[in-house]
Amino acid sequence: MALEVQPPDGRKRVKVYELKDNDWFDRGTGFCTGQILGEEPRIFVESEDLPNRVLLETRITKDDGYQKQQETLIVWTEQNGTDMALSFQEAEGCAVIWDFVNAVQQHLLSLTSADDALSDDLDSYQSIVLPGPELGNLPEIEQIVRAASMTQGGRDALSKYIIRDEYIAKLVPLVTMAEDLESLIDLHRLCNIMKSLILLNDNTIIETVVADHIILGVVGALEYDPEFPTHKANHRQYLADKSRYKEVVPIKDPIIRRKIRSTWRLQYLKDVVLARILDDPTFSVLNSLIFFNQMEIVNHIQANGPFLRDLFHVFDPRNPDQRRKDDAVQFLHQCAGIAKNLQAPSRAQLFANFISHGLFAVIAFAVKHLNPAMRTTGIDILVALLDHDPVMMRGYMLKAVNEKKTPLTDTLIDLLHVETDLGVKNQLADAIKVLLDPQIPMQDPLGRAGPDYYKVRTNLLSDAFVQQHFDESSKRLFQPLKQLANRTALNDLTFQEVTLYSHLVDILTFFVRQHLFRTRNSIQSESLAPRVAQLLRVPQKHLKLVALKFFRTLISLQDTFYQALMTHNNTFELILDIVYETMPRDNLLNSACLELFEFIKRENIKPFILHVVEKYREKLENIIYVDTFQSLILRYDQMQGYGAEADATLFSQDDSNAPRRIPLSGQRWQGTREMDPAEEDYFNTSDDEDEIKWTQDRVATADGPSSESASAVVKPLVDYPDDDDEDIMDTKPEGAEQQPVASPTETSTEVPTSPPTQNPPERLAEKRRREEEDDDELSKLTAGPKRRSSTSGNSGAFIMNRKKTQAAGSLADKNASPGVLNRVTSAAPKRIAINIGSTAKPSISETNTTRTEVTSESYEKENRDDSQGNEGG
Amino acid sequence: MSDLDRAIEQLRACRLIPESQVRELCYKARELLIEEGNVVSVDAPVTICGDIHGQFHDLMELFRVGGDVPDTNYLFMGDFVDRGFYSLESFLLLLCLKVRYPDRITLIRGNHESRQITTVYGFYDECIRKYGSANVWRYCCEVFDYLALGAIVLGASSELEPSNTALPSMPIDDSELETEVLNSRGEVTMSTYRARQRSSSDASTDSRNISPPRDISAAPGQAAAPSRSGAPGTGASGDGNGSATTSRTGAVLCVHGGLSPLIDSVDKIRLIDRKQEVPHEGAMCDLLWSDPDEIEGWGLSPRGAGFLFGGDIVKQFNHLNGLSLVARAHQLVMEGYKEMFDGGIVTVWSAPNYCYRCGNVAAILELGEDSSGGGTVARSNGEYGRSNGIVTDNRVVSPGRRYRVFEAAAQDTRGMPAKKPVADYFL
Repeated sequence: MALEVQPPDGRKRVKVYELKDNDWFDRGTGFCTGQILGEEPRIFVESEDLPNRVLLETRITKDDGYQKQQETLIVWTEQNGTDMALSFQEAEGCAVIWDFVNAVQQHLLSLTSADDALSDDLDSYQSIVLPGPELGNLPEIEQIVRAASMTQGGRDALSKYIIRDEYIAKLVPLVTMAEDLESLIDLHRLCNIMKSLILLNDNTIIETVVADHIILGVVGALEYDPEFPTHKANHRQYLADKSRYKEVVPIKDPIIRRKIRSTWRLQYLKDVVLARILDDPTFSVLNSLIFFNQMEIVNHIQANGPFLRDLFHVFDPRNPDQRRKDDAVQFLHQCAGIAKNLQAPSRAQLFANFISHGLFAVIAFAVKHLNPAMRTTGIDILVALLDHDPVMMRGYMLKAVNEKKTPLTDTLIDLLHVETDLGVKNQLADAIKVLLDPQIPMQDPLGRAGPDYYKVRTNLLSDAFVQQHFDESSKRLFQPLKQLANRTALNDLTFQEVTLYSHLVDILTFFVRQHLFRTRNSIQSESLAPRVAQLLRVPQKHLKLVALKFFRTLISLQDTFYQALMTHNNTFELILDIVYETMPRDNLLNSACLELFEFIKRENIKPFILHVVEKYREKLENIIYVDTFQSLILRYDQMQGYGAEADATLFSQDDSNAPRRIPLSGQRWQGTREMDPAEEDYFNTSDDEDEIKWTQDRVATADGPSSESASAVVKPLVDYPDDDDEDIMDTKPEGAEQQPVASPTETSTEVPTSPPTQNPPERLAEKRRREEEDDDELSKLTAGPKRRSSTSGNSGAFIMNRKKTQAAGSLADKNASPGVLNRVTSAAPKRIAINIGSTAKPSISETNTTRTEVTSESYEKENRDDSQGNEGG
Repeated sequence: MSDLDRAIEQLRACRLIPESQVRELCYKARELLIEEGNVVSVDAPVTICGDIHGQFHDLMELFRVGGDVPDTNYLFMGDFVDRGFYSLESFLLLLCLKVRYPDRITLIRGNHESRQITTVYGFYDECIRKYGSANVWRYCCEVFDYLALGAIVLGASSELEPSNTALPSMPIDDSELETEVLNSRGEVTMSTYRARQRSSSDASTDSRNISPPRDISAAPGQAAAPSRSGAPGTGASGDGNGSATTSRTGAVLCVHGGLSPLIDSVDKIRLIDRKQEVPHEGAMCDLLWSDPDEIEGWGLSPRGAGFLFGGDIVKQFNHLNGLSLVARAHQLVMEGYKEMFDGGIVTVWSAPNYCYRCGNVAAILELGEDSSGGGTVARSNGEYGRSNGIVTDNRVVSPGRRYRVFEAAAQDTRGMPAKKPVADYFL
């Protein structure tokens, strides 16, 4: 049976979308053709950039529910259930393909109806006819609609009938009729019918429902929900209220105006009228209709030069109309809100257009507004931009600095200092964090606007320049903190001051964690650390907590500079004071302190153990309600007993622990990162972000005594190919996950003369010992499962990276100089002695005697679980 | 009437309070919560509640069934927000009550009390829609960071005071009322008894498969007369070890999710710095995310966070910590509550007809007070030697448990559930 359909001529420019997780995923832009290959009619889309790449190839069958929506959209469901959409550039192109699809389907249908005349169920459904739209027929209509909704075939047939017969429009007058007659039962029936029709989940029906002359009738019926017989909603009143639509600058295009209206109605349907009854398919149909509408609206706006000129002209200082300015800010705010849902390229285009018309001036206008609500709105727009592309935003900011204009950051910083509305202040702090953060996690690079922004970035971001700007901004930002030096008593802080300090310390903590090298300058030159330490004494406990968090972060960095910062003054005394003040009460502040000391103990951070025990031994001895402090003293004593050489290896390099560190909280950008090596890399290489990110993810050595050390040269950044990770995981899973990273840096700097003897059995022993030691350290907190591996199996991709990190670590260890191993081996017995702690661990080593039934039992289980974890990973 | 009382009145009527008041409230709550330990000690009697999920009218129904604050001492195990349409009203009301009656209501953190989760599951959107900006969401999230991670209930009685004296029935020799299930009208629908004298380790099942852990010595529906031969707990010696110590009602640990492989004792929870966003892994994450499951040991959780843990884990944990029961929420159970592992753990779910469509009933769990004063484990939380306060060599007796089961609030009391539409629009 030959196809007698002519394929259309020419190629139509089109975007291909696929519905994934309720989101339209952009498969790319290309050229669409309809073809008949052999006997099979197909739709082809070839990629615009790579002509050989086929974005879409689909066979047209008679059953596929192709639908044309609006002028430029074709939507259908693939045989495998995937929802697809073609969005054409030109309405004409869309029409051509649509005609082709229609012709093919008509043809196929005529063939089949000839072939399977016996297929009676198809026929019976195709012949669904509803009785005339009259009040008297409502019971019958309701019954037929309900019955037809039960099966897919029935739904299809019913949808077709409803659309062909324009049945909904005919039902609408019945609503007022029934109301006039005060016939509640009819109104309930109408409501049920409308619900069923909407839940048929057909695009065309839903588009019909929100049309101008129909919507009020439909929601009118839906006001009488039989499930709430005593209630009547007032949807019509809400939707009929024209004043809700505000026009700052009139949009002239009637099609767009209509789209704006129907989008608003769709949202109302989704959020209010149908919120309780929506099923997932209808929910996603509504969402995608809204999405495509919004895309068109936004595209129209941003391509409409005169409109944008008028819009931004509203902000001309000579314009006295304040109301209009406020409305314009809100208009832009709404655009930015919609943009969040758009695909990254269209979002980028929109923002770029706004920015070129002067969006920053608008933001500056809004954030200085007298009304806090407007300030919030202004910052929301800014945050939308930052969320979209922080790198671009920083580029613009630095450009302003370069051109000797006042950068946005200065404005924001000044505002932060004086802002009294706490919500706004909060947002300001967040925005400043991102804007000044010198190293931003790279997201999907395709999500960026395009070549323009890369140019902005690479041209301007010379490191010295960035550093200089960062230092200057920090100076400005942390000025109030610095001025704390002149205050002796901190008992009289005002509420505003407390809030400001807590934001400032929070930002500082964020900077230190994100980028310790850059932050070093300002902390040093402004001597900020003592100021934060001052805050440990304020009466406001939450501020104390914030200050404590800062020092906890410094500790976790395991960086000599910051270590010195904490040990060369009385910081620990202040922290111990808090312990004394709060113990033995069980409260948040107390727990936070305990966690800090537990961390030092668990990670065995030698400088701190030495410092704390030497200076505050007596204080520690008096804290006996938990064993943390006694263990610290014990560790110290053991250190002293066995000399410095052993200590060096024992206590400085348990770096495999670093990735286990508990993530610091509440930050805008989550994720703890070990910065040093990446940072070295950042200093030493060009702007290849992906590469930087990569090394960050993989290398987790958290040492790096200083930036001047030779470490950069020896750092094992590059040598661990992926494949090896696999091997390690397979053959020595325990070693791979447990091995501390013995950094070559430390080796070479600290003990250059260690004897280079090595023999394999010892190495093995050493490995086991370490593994067990690691267990023990975990067991300080826990019953000692080898948690990391199970977790990696557990929570997805970013943990996978960490597994690689650990594997890499172990490799490094294998390759590390024999000296390390040797020394560590010799230290083993001491360590075991040290480890006689609170919790027993399953013993591999001969010296361990603290084993108990229970823990070994749990150990086995956890081991088992461990392997599951690996499989899962 | 103080501002706070006014705010409570207003929220009870399901009307929101102004943003400035929310801010004020959140700051007050913060001051209060910062003083709470990671594991709060709560004395029986207490009523334990599971997930609420923004179902405000059902929360009102819960108070109707369980008694009002401050008459009843409540413990809510998290997940106040998301999913339902009234997360703000529900959470703010609970927070107001917390600030007003700090000793009569305890709130602990659920996995939905997190920035990341609330941006996905509705609370964030609700804040934007109802207040026009994310400020209120920020204030609430700040409070979330201060919420305790768990609670431990002390002093619960092993025997229930029979709630229904209307039904005449014979006192049942040698048994005490252990569990009782009541419907929302206060009628007993099921009771189980445990022997006073015999070893109390026999498990039994009932028709609803909720595994009440001990003997059913009486038919369901039959209630024991209030006659007791001695102080509760003193008569039983289920240990069989011949020791002179009486059996004791162990403490009850309440967490939102469950146990963690990183936490082998309740005291370890104390070493967490809880003021942070719920992490993706680690002890704090597990407490809020894990689920019990019919497995041995630990298993991967399909949720992508936390773990699955089996009956052996629960048994061991309870034994080591002198606990008789872990109460948790986090999972929808159609009957409102579900006991597992021979009564070692119970899931309590307090959101009826979850998401307005699941068709489940909800429950709250009442633990009575041990009036004899002598039968409880002396567990010195927060003081010197806290770890030694537990005697682990004796079997601890689980507390008497009264479940009140209730259904979704009647339609006419709640109005139509709907979200609030946006006020104005430009696009």
